[in-house]
Amino acid sequence: MSDADTITKWRNPLFPWGAKGEVEELPTIPFRSHQEIWRETRESRVTLFSVGRLRYYYKWPGHGSMTWNRLRYWPTRRHVLRLRGEYNPKTFQREKTIVDKRPIWWLLGLLVLALGPLFTPLGMQNTLLTAASTFALYAAISLCWMLIIGTAGIYTLASYAVVGTAAFCTASLSIKFGVPWWLLPPIGAVVGLLFGAIIALPASRLDGFYYALLTLGLNELCRVYFTTSPVFGAANGGLFGAATFVPESASQLVRLLSSYYACFALLLLALLFYRLVNGRRLGRVLRMAPEKREAFAEAAGVNFRQARVRVFVLSSIALGFIGGFYTANFGGVAFSIFNFDTVLLGLGMLVIGGIGRAEGAVVGTFIVVLLDKFFITLGPIRLILIGIIMLSAALYLRDGLFGIKAQFRNWRDKKKSERRSTRAEKGGEMLPEEATETHDKDEVYRRRFDKMQREYFKTIVTPELVEEHRRAPQGQHSEVLERLLIYFRGQPQVDKYAITAVEPFKAYRIVGLSGHRGVPPRVVEDKIYLSPEEAYHGVFLRRVQDLLES
Amino acid sequence: MEIWFVISNAIVLACIYGTLAIGVSITWSSLGLLNLAYGFIFAFAGFGAWVVSQQVSAWGPVLLATGILTGALGGVVVCALAFIPIHDKPNFTIRGLIGTLAINLLGTQGLLWWFGPRAKTLPGIFGDWKISMSGMVLSADKIGNVLTSILMLVVVLRWMQGSRRGLEIRAMMMNPHAAAIVGIGVRRTSFYVMAITGGLAGLAAVLLSQTYYISPFGGLTPMIKGVSIALCGGLGSVRGAVIAAMVLGLNESLTTVTIGGQYVLITQFVFIIAILLVRPRGIAGILDKAREA
Amino acid sequence: MNYMPQQPPEIAGRPAVSREVLNVRGLSAGYGPMRVIHDLDLVVNAGERVGIVGLNGHGKSTLFYGIAGLTGWQRGSIRLNGVEVGRTRSQGPGRYTHEIVRAGLALIPQGDEIFHGLTVEEHLDSGAFTPRAWRERATRKQRILKIFPPLKKLMNVPVGRLSGGERRMVSIGRGLMADASLFLVDEPSLGLAPKIGRSVIEALMGVELGDSAMVIAEQNVALLEGRVDRILGMHAGQLKGEASAAALAIHDYGRG
Repeated sequence: MSDADTITKWRNPLFPWGAKGEVEELPTIPFRSHQEIWRETRESRVTLFSVGRLRYYYKWPGHGSMTWNRLRYWPTRRHVLRLRGEYNPKTFQREKTIVDKRPIWWLLGLLVLALGPLFTPLGMQNTLLTAASTFALYAAISLCWMLIIGTAGIYTLASYAVVGTAAFCTASLSIKFGVPWWLLPPIGAVVGLLFGAIIALPASRLDGFYYALLTLGLNELCRVYFTTSPVFGAANGGLFGAATFVPESASQLVRLLSSYYACFALLLLALLFYRLVNGRRLGRVLRMAPEKREAFAEAAGVNFRQARVRVFVLSSIALGFIGGFYTANFGGVAFSIFNFDTVLLGLGMLVIGGIGRAEGAVVGTFIVVLLDKFFITLGPIRLILIGIIMLSAALYLRDGLFGIKAQFRNWRDKKKSERRSTRAEKGGEMLPEEATETHDKDEVYRRRFDKMQREYFKTIVTPELVEEHRRAPQGQHSEVLERLLIYFRGQPQVDKYAITAVEPFKAYRIVGLSGHRGVPPRVVEDKIYLSPEEAYHGVFLRRVQDLLES
Repeated sequence: MEIWFVISNAIVLACIYGTLAIGVSITWSSLGLLNLAYGFIFAFAGFGAWVVSQQVSAWGPVLLATGILTGALGGVVVCALAFIPIHDKPNFTIRGLIGTLAINLLGTQGLLWWFGPRAKTLPGIFGDWKISMSGMVLSADKIGNVLTSILMLVVVLRWMQGSRRGLEIRAMMMNPHAAAIVGIGVRRTSFYVMAITGGLAGLAAVLLSQTYYISPFGGLTPMIKGVSIALCGGLGSVRGAVIAAMVLGLNESLTTVTIGGQYVLITQFVFIIAILLVRPRGIAGILDKAREA
Repeated sequence: MNYMPQQPPEIAGRPAVSREVLNVRGLSAGYGPMRVIHDLDLVVNAGERVGIVGLNGHGKSTLFYGIAGLTGWQRGSIRLNGVEVGRTRSQGPGRYTHEIVRAGLALIPQGDEIFHGLTVEEHLDSGAFTPRAWRERATRKQRILKIFPPLKKLMNVPVGRLSGGERRMVSIGRGLMADASLFLVDEPSLGLAPKIGRSVIEALMGVELGDSAMVIAEQNVALLEGRVDRILGMHAGQLKGEASAAALAIHDYGRG
């Protein structure tokens, strides 16, 4: 609107009737149809956004919420699978999803492990079955170690020291005093208990990570002691000749298989042990007190320190048992168990899988043992491969292989909210993310209409209009101003400007209505208006300001 | 006299292991990284000095300088691989630990592949002279070791007190969050820290090469000893590390003389555990008193 | 077209258009899933002292941290002396902070981030991070001691042993050591006895700004009344309301 154009005027229809204070004509803007914006908006040039939830769980048919007839573990009432039943709004059918499929994966995995060795090709039997036995044994050790690091949060590097000490003690007992093989694991458990009790003392005093340094030294200590001690076979590289359950006279295949199945049984025992400690009371108590939030647990009266020590000692007993089993299985033990390499690989097994999960321990052990013992023909390259895998896991994975799902979800949510924030406006159209989720789709249209109206009004607000309102807040208004006022009057009550009479006829003040029953209006500003007209104009100005800002 | 022998041994050991301990201590408290690739840096520096001794010159100071520089290079590499990418990501402590372990594995295997498993020796750095003093013979080795390590430590500590970079490192040791507010970049400072501690490890490697031969896995025991001393002295405190080094060096030489060499580690650890039971934060827990706001 | 009932006041004696030290546009910042600051705009001109008032938890400290790059994540444009220092970042708080500080920002955070083992003198030294400031640090320390005389006797005391008011003085002194063009002071009187709090504010007001600007966040409006050029209210992560120092009503900013 330039001044050179013909100045449009609005002629006041009330003027001929002589109404008080009415003028004949006022300047105003040229007519602008409210239907223009409607037409513009209706032409569909809409960009489509990739929003909405992908329903990636497979939905099984069936009524997931009928809980009477379900598959249960027989004497208990515990369900086998955790199901969730939903109603599909599109197909009008009930559906169910298996929320937690891990029992299925575990079952399949353990079946493969149980039946696999029966189908090994002939040429590879030796390497494969020895590697498999080693895998099962080390997986059991990793599980107990995972209990200490993941559940109890004590970073110890001395697990292999416990296993090795128990193995050596039981081996020497067996060689010297002829102890039978079925006594070796219990004796190992006792050795583990003693060792664990000794090193549990500093564990309770030292902060989680400092303890790792101490145990590193302890491991070295054990190594040096056992390597240089003549009692423990310093000359032979280890002790050999202990009693074992593997029958001496049977064929190689039978020996390998029996050794493997014994180790597999040990793995199952270790899994049970993990479940009993981590899944029940002790584990729950310790989940209340994660790394930096112990003060909360303490304030809640939970004795997490005692729980930690208990888990530590229990795991040490289990590790000692495994040490005794080690001797019984292999008939002896070599010094290499105390090597720094073993500790390093063991820690790698834990971290590659993910700290705090049993499946992490087992899968991590599988990967490392696969590379280390099965691909032994590759030579030293396999250690380099393991090193590269460990480094990549440390650099790229937040929580090991099994934490990838959570990491990906986290990243995706971050990206979603970043994209969403570039689109968000104050009181504008509904965001596509919200639009796909609301039940009442009319809300989407109402918001869009509201936005259209505001866009239109932004184009017609001019200083002349404000001046017109100031002259006569409650008089006859031009068409444009009347449209604006009707829009303002039609807004919802939440945070709507209103006028309160501080002193009737003398002082007025603007307040903002809360829109909720029982909540008093809030004071918007301190200014006192001396007449109602001024107060009306003040409210109008504020509303126009808010319109222009939105 | 035996007691002087014990003391002189103790001092030599304390100096060398104290150097390593101070390196571990500074790295942990300023970066929050437990550098278990220290063993690799140690071996790497030793091999660097050996290569120079074979190809270039066998003069003492040259070997020392090479050791320090190679160690610094190793430290910078470890920093770039294991610290910079993950230092502000979640779970950093354990990821850093695993990362350094992985670098240790890769590095030692690489050294093994390149140089072979046979141990190498360095020519004597300080010559063959001896000093006889009141019934005890001090070889050039011992005197040279002690003097060099003390000199290096004094230089490093003076630099840390006096220069801007040193101030930055010390500030980061105390409060990494506030350090950013005063314009101290964590990444740039970390390179300095790792280079300096790597240099210290390199010095220790060259000095220890008289006792321990240079081999790919030879850095392991010294690293563990250094780590234990640092833990005992209190991670983050240089004074604590020095005191712990002296105490444990004394312990080691006493044990070797009285009970026998194979019990050294046992007595060391009994001692360390005893100190840690009394002072969970190490010896420096006694020395440091800050006022609660 | 400004329809606000109150016009921003003319800053006496200074031209209406002056150099912008800080220009924040559309800043959103928060920690994790929590968004503390919503699309905030702020302009600070050279030579200005601006006060930001608001209750705890409404985002004053987050605003300062957002400018310095220390929040969990942030989005939006931040221009310091015309140079863009804000970047969309969702990880790594503090990763670029030292660059932003070197671009001319001095942040004096809430509750004193101090290095408890360094002495007072070393603290002040640590604030001089540009080569020029480092060379001139002796003269600058003298200047700081003139502003905070109680520190003269405490130069060699480790800061961990000082009282709250002394620590606050050290923290502010550290911020003054380098040539910053923007000072962000977060709650200078927090946790201090009223008399000491007032003296700290006095010292802040006494700092010669020249071409720089200062933004002070405070809960206690009375301390800032009459001494700053502008006061902004912070409520629920947004700046609302702007008043000259003269026209203030305390209960407005209490309820937003």
